Amino acid sequence: MADVIHLNYFSLAVLNRFGIKLGFGDKTVDEVCKQYKVDVDFFLEIVNTFVDKDYFPKKHLQTFPVKLITDYLQKTHNDYHNIKVPEIEYLIEKMIDSCFTQKDNIVLLKKFFNDYKQELQNHTRREEEVVFPYTLAIEKAYNSDTIDKSVIELMETYSIEIFQNEHDNIEEKLFDLKNIIIKYLPQPKDLKLCNKLLHELFSLEQDLNDHARIEEKVLVPKIREMEQIITERFSGEKKNA
Amino acid sequence: MPKSSFIIIEKSYLIRKGLISLIDKIPNTQTIQQIDQTDDLKALKKFDADFVIINSNLIHKELIKTLMEASDTFQLILLSEDNDSVPGLSWVEKIDLNESHNSILKKLNNAVGNKINSQAKTSTPDEISDREADILRNIALGYSNKEIADKLFISTHTVVTHRKNITRKLGIKTVPGLTIYAILNKLINIDDQSKL
Ligand SMILES: [Fe+2]
Ligand SMILES: [Fe+2]
Repeated sequence: MADVIHLNYFSLAVLNRFGIKLGFGDKTVDEVCKQYKVDVDFFLEIVNTFVDKDYFPKKHLQTFPVKLITDYLQKTHNDYHNIKVPEIEYLIEKMIDSCFTQKDNIVLLKKFFNDYKQELQNHTRREEEVVFPYTLAIEKAYNSDTIDKSVIELMETYSIEIFQNEHDNIEEKLFDLKNIIIKYLPQPKDLKLCNKLLHELFSLEQDLNDHARIEEKVLVPKIREMEQIITERFSGEKKNA
Repeated sequence: MPKSSFIIIEKSYLIRKGLISLIDKIPNTQTIQQIDQTDDLKALKKFDADFVIINSNLIHKELIKTLMEASDTFQLILLSEDNDSVPGLSWVEKIDLNESHNSILKKLNNAVGNKINSQAKTSTPDEISDREADILRNIALGYSNKEIADKLFISTHTVVTHRKNITRKLGIKTVPGLTIYAILNKLINIDDQSKL
């Protein structure tokens, strides 16, 4: 497991999300995953897609249970709200404190990021309150012996298609913020702070990209297929009854 | 200078990888998306790519329609084994799968070069014109496309075109982002707007 981190330290974030703590000595990935009751296959695929943006075995990822996928997505949301966003806020705050010539400008950035934070919260809340519960319900119905009418009714009020269409590109504003700092903001006095802030913004943007890719290319197609099969089975059962 | 961006639509992982490594050799370029099957084409609308490289095997009727509708935003490069052309679509370059390293590189370079030349004609690429500054000021003040069109006596379509150009030149897409730019560059006053 230590090799995984040595190979690419970005994987640390993923370890955190699976609740794996450092200090595992020379244990293998398999052993550590067993200890933390983590699905090894799933863990490995997630780590690999996270560190290599060209690696994305969507067909294989779609074979994992919905609960594993949404749990991981949920933990990633928590990471954004509890670690990444506060870190960026802290850096912006420090920039305001340390800057005398263009406090006003940086206050603008702060407002911009604050709005962004709201947007991000709304985005993840909607997924947690509506989308994830829906996907779990679909999987449950898919795995049960007979299709209950309530699922069909549920599918009439919401569908994964709706999610796909309403799922907005949450990275766009971050991209703007980066560009404003890189291209247009008069250089603040404390360059170190500014670089650190940029680094955090890049990292959050990349993380969000990876996250949205799992939502759109793993969760959505997986659920869409289940919806189809459920509908077919339901009409089949009705005929036989 | 803005980077030239590529989307690659190709089934084979090896060919995609190969193309990416060739594109990487050309300065000021980037591959923003790889697609291995055509049902992922939602991305074409989402990303503003300059070039779309596509394998002729993956082209079908519906795709031609999508490509034609969106074709003013990007240029097409064909990837094929037999160099046949596809009706209704125009290609800036055609790459044969059996072609040599140098010859492919040359074609990609040509495509990118053409793009830079056509941009150079429209004044300096990164600076926005007075008219665009006008529009930008109004966007930052919170006016909609329709309102701006009425105010400046131009069509909404023209406003949209200006907005696209502004976004391309500045690299800023969202209204709040454009607003900050407008304030930093003193196009508007901080107190002028309340929407931010
Ligand atoms: Fe999410
Ligand atoms: Fe999302």
